[in-house]
Parts: sequence; structure tokens; C-alpha cells
Amino acid sequence: MSQNFITEATVFEEVKKATAETLNIDKDSIKPESSLIKDLGAESLDFLDINYRLEQAFGIKMARHFILEHIEEMFGEGSAIDANSQITDKAVSLLQFRMGENFPELRPGMDMDEVPALVTAQSLTSGVLDILDSLPEKCSACGNSAWQSENGLRIKCGSCEEYASFTNGDDLIKAWLTKVQEEKKIF
Amino acid sequence: MSREFPKKRVVVTGYGMITPLGKNTEETFRSASQGLSGIDYITSFDTKGLPCQIGGQVQNSWLDEVRDPVAQRYYKFSARGLRLIRAATLEATEQAQTEKIAARDRIGVSLGYHADNPTIEDLVFLHRFYNGNGSWDMKGLLQAGGYSYLNFLRRKPDVVTSMLSILSNCKGPNLSIVSACAAGSQAIGEAYRMLQEGKADVMIAGGCDTTLNFIGFIGFVLIKALSERYTSPQKASRPFDRKRNGFVMSEGAGTIILEELEHARSRGVPIYGEILGYASSADAYRITDTHPKGLGAILAIKGALEDAGISSEDVDYINAHGTSTVQNDLTETVAIKEVFGERAKSIPISSNKSMLGHTIGAAGAIECVLTLAGINQSTILPTINYEFPDPKCDLDYVPNVARTQEHRIAISNSFGFGGQNACLCIGKFNG
Repeated sequence: MSQNFITEATVFEEVKKATAETLNIDKDSIKPESSLIKDLGAESLDFLDINYRLEQAFGIKMARHFILEHIEEMFGEGSAIDANSQITDKAVSLLQFRMGENFPELRPGMDMDEVPALVTAQSLTSGVLDILDSLPEKCSACGNSAWQSENGLRIKCGSCEEYASFTNGDDLIKAWLTKVQEEKKIF
Repeated sequence: MSREFPKKRVVVTGYGMITPLGKNTEETFRSASQGLSGIDYITSFDTKGLPCQIGGQVQNSWLDEVRDPVAQRYYKFSARGLRLIRAATLEATEQAQTEKIAARDRIGVSLGYHADNPTIEDLVFLHRFYNGNGSWDMKGLLQAGGYSYLNFLRRKPDVVTSMLSILSNCKGPNLSIVSACAAGSQAIGEAYRMLQEGKADVMIAGGCDTTLNFIGFIGFVLIKALSERYTSPQKASRPFDRKRNGFVMSEGAGTIILEELEHARSRGVPIYGEILGYASSADAYRITDTHPKGLGAILAIKGALEDAGISSEDVDYINAHGTSTVQNDLTETVAIKEVFGERAKSIPISSNKSMLGHTIGAAGAIECVLTLAGINQSTILPTINYEFPDPKCDLDYVPNVARTQEHRIAISNSFGFGGQNACLCIGKFNG
């Protein structure tokens, strides 16, 4: 269910904090559209660090694999990346559908090496919000429906005090891909 | 101003190894010539739930076969690393007959190694006496028998180097090299330098590593460096292949006996090859990402050729670092093209890691020895699991089958995480 305890502004603030601390840069230099690699100088290891910080802050589990890896796994080898290491047309349209229209770099024939640069502060924020929105209706520990927010970052059961558990990022991507495939029959 | 001495020539008078493919050089080389894989499911620790469950293990029975009573009492200082490097070193020193050399202060040791990891059992035991807030129940810990000082020594990479000098009675220069995947090559390269400059007559050089335990393995899993998609363990390490998706962790050791030419001649021992050149460099770029244009790798390769006084035209074979990660194999290809130009396409290049997996600190040493053995047997070892050409990696990687081909001069690349690069130039001995 979509949750109303943690706002997008709060998540973006935490993304900025995690990114700024990881990269040791000024928090205010991070804009929603900032590419972590291209604009902020992140390297691949930094993503692990940023994800870890967000996981600690919200009590969630970020995706370990990028969506292209999931597409390859679910729809077969070559479905996302072709023999020339380029993103297939189908995968591009799927990415456009997921990420919105604001990525002119995202086009058929783009190289897989260029994909990590598409990750922005905004796309990270959306990723975290997706996970938070997997909040189950009822607490898995006591069965009550009495969620409340603690310090605006963690969601807790008002009845038994257990922290909420969310679906992990990889499972959410898989579920999204399954749904989109059913609706649009891309692959 | 430093005085310039004429550089001495450095030859190889012995070598040894223990790898997932064999208990010595002969066995390993034979299996590698047949294109066999030493990779299988890991049995040394419980891999349940891990996204990668394969590795290249050295069989325990091979280690048990090594008759080494004098070293046994030291095994407690290094559970596995010392055993591996002793197996390789005994093979090498027997071949080179180093025991017979009288001047022990002219024999040095140079070793690449990263020490044993703490065991989960160690950590669980310690955890009992820790309150989680920075305070320790030292009384309880001491009552329970305390924390063994041996654990302290096992964490120190220098201890095995020191141990080797004790066991082989080598009183010359003693060097511990810690540079990840470049360590084995650097250990040989720096030893070569010392002999060139007359700092020793003989150097026992090599590398070993054993990371097939939970703590050693999990870090590589977390940074997603290991192959997680494979149809079978033997198919996972596929350097330069389009479907490569990470390296395969292995353990092993390799040792090479380097000797100043005149010293070797005066002893009348067989000479198996010559180290012609060496260089090391750093990407100075990022922690795990390689420099996209391979600038550090290029510096190392060019430096080794220059050090050897040869041109890129003279190189007949390239023993690649070839880890099977997307980045390394691409960057290495880019670097080779930059150094060798048009000729890059006609030089055979192969990765021993396709069969052995990645033995980290041992890799450079094992690959140096396999390169020498290949030169002496006119055999170029293959890159196995090469099935799907990657348009960006378009050189001759000696796919799947060994090649019989005379060759005289080779280079061996080793590029470490962190951008530490080493390149050795290895030649047939010309007398």
C-alpha cells in the first residue's frame, strides 16, 4: 500500500545526506536531476555505500541488481543487452516507461556502460519510495494495523512497537517487470 | 647523484606451484594444456544463501602429501597460506638446489600475500565478551582462555615471508608485498630488481593466497566482483567472452627461484628462462574501477618493455591478467591495443584464470611460471570458455584449445583492485 508517513521531500533529503556523506561533497550541490556518476563524481563502489546508508536510515533493503540484470534473468539472455553490449530497443522502452521522459541519453543503441550514469538523486529517491510503499497493511508481528512514524524516517507498529518490514528492492523490480509484461507484452 | 652500475642478468633456476589444477607445476601445466577447469562448488565453508558458491580449491590431500616436518610446528601461525607457499617453494628450491648454496645471507625472499582472514569461530568467541558499546569483559575473556596470540600473527602478511626465510634459511633481503592481484608479479619484479643491482645472488620470489573462507569471500560478494551467473562452475570464469560477469575466487601458491646469471653458471644448475624486464604503476584513479583507457596498465606494459630494452615488435605472447570481470578484460584489451597498435591483433593472448580462477596474490607468480613453462614447451595455453565473442574485445585470445607454437619473449600482466599494475617481461634463456 502506499504509505503516508514518510514524504518524498524527506526521502530526497536523506538521499542528499547519504550521497553527500559518501562523496564528501556539499549537500546543497545535489539537485534532483544530478547524475551521481557524471555530475557528482561517484564510482561504482560509492553506490554500495549510499545504498547502505539509505537502508540504515529507513530500515529497508535496496536492490542489489540493476533492472537490466533482472530483465535478462526473467526474459532470457539477450533480452536487455545485445551481442554488441548495447541496450535492446525493448529494454530502452521499458526503461523510458520506468524512469520517465527526462533522459535524452536513454535511446536505442546506447551502450550498457552508459547506463549507470542515468542514476540520479531523483531516481534513487523514487527507488526508496517504491520500497516504502510496499508497507503491508498489517503488522506482520501482531496483526494490528496501527502504523506510526518514528522521527519521520522509520515506520513502527503503534501496537507492538515492531518496525515495519518492507519488500526488498530486487523483489519489487521483479514484481514490476511481471506486471508490465502482463499489461504490455513487451517480451 | 646516484652511481650507475651495469645491471646484472637475472635467470630462473627453479619454480613450483600448487593450484586448483594440480599439486605441482607439471600437473597444473598438463591440465591447463588440456583446457581443463579447476573450478567447482566450494566445500571449505558453507556457501548456502550466497549468490556465488564456486571457487578453485587446492585439494587437502595434495597438501598432506607434502613432506615437510620442519614446517609443521609453524602451521599454527598461518593455517593455510604457509602450507600452500611451502608446497610451491619446496618444489622450486629442490629443482634449483638452493640448499647447497653456502652464502645464506645472499639469498632473499620476496612474497606477495595478504594473510589469513579471521574465522567466524574467532569472532563468535570474542563477541561473547563484548557488550556492543565499546566495553570488554576482559576478566571473562581471560577466564575463558583468552584470545590466542596466534590469531594476531595469522592476520599479519609479513609473518609468512619471515617464516619462509626461517624454513629455507635465507638471510638476505626480505620483502612482503601487499598489492592485491598485482602482488605475485610485483614480488617477482622487485626481487629481480634486487638481483640486477647486486643486492643478493638468489631470490625466492612468489605469492600465495587463500580466501576461500566466509570472511575472505563475503567482501568480494558484497562488491559484486564475483561471477554470479554460470551454467556450471567450470563455465563461470570466461575471460574476454561477452557473457563474462565476474571473477572466480581461487587459492594457490607459486614460487620462482631467481638467480644472478653468473652465480647460476658457477653452480652449474639448469637455467629455465630469464626475466628481461619489469615495471609497476598505479592508475591513481579509483578504488575498484579500472581507468577506462587503461592508462595505468599501459604505463606498466610500456615500462616493462623499456626496462627489457625491447620493442613491442619483439613480444610473441601475452599472458593476460584476464580476470573475467566486464571491466578488467575490456580495459586490458584497450591497453594492449594502445601499446601494440596494429600488431595487437596478431599476438596470441591468453588468460590462465579461465582454468584456475583468480588466486589473487598468487596469480602473478603462478602465471609467470606457466608462461615460462609454455615458452620451454612451445605451448601457448588457451583461454577456455570462450564462446561468445565480445565486439569490444576483438583480439586473439587463443580460444579453448592450446596452441603449439614456438615463442621466445612474453609479457605477463597483473592488475590489482585499487589500480596497482605490474608487468613482467619473460624470455627464453639464450645463453
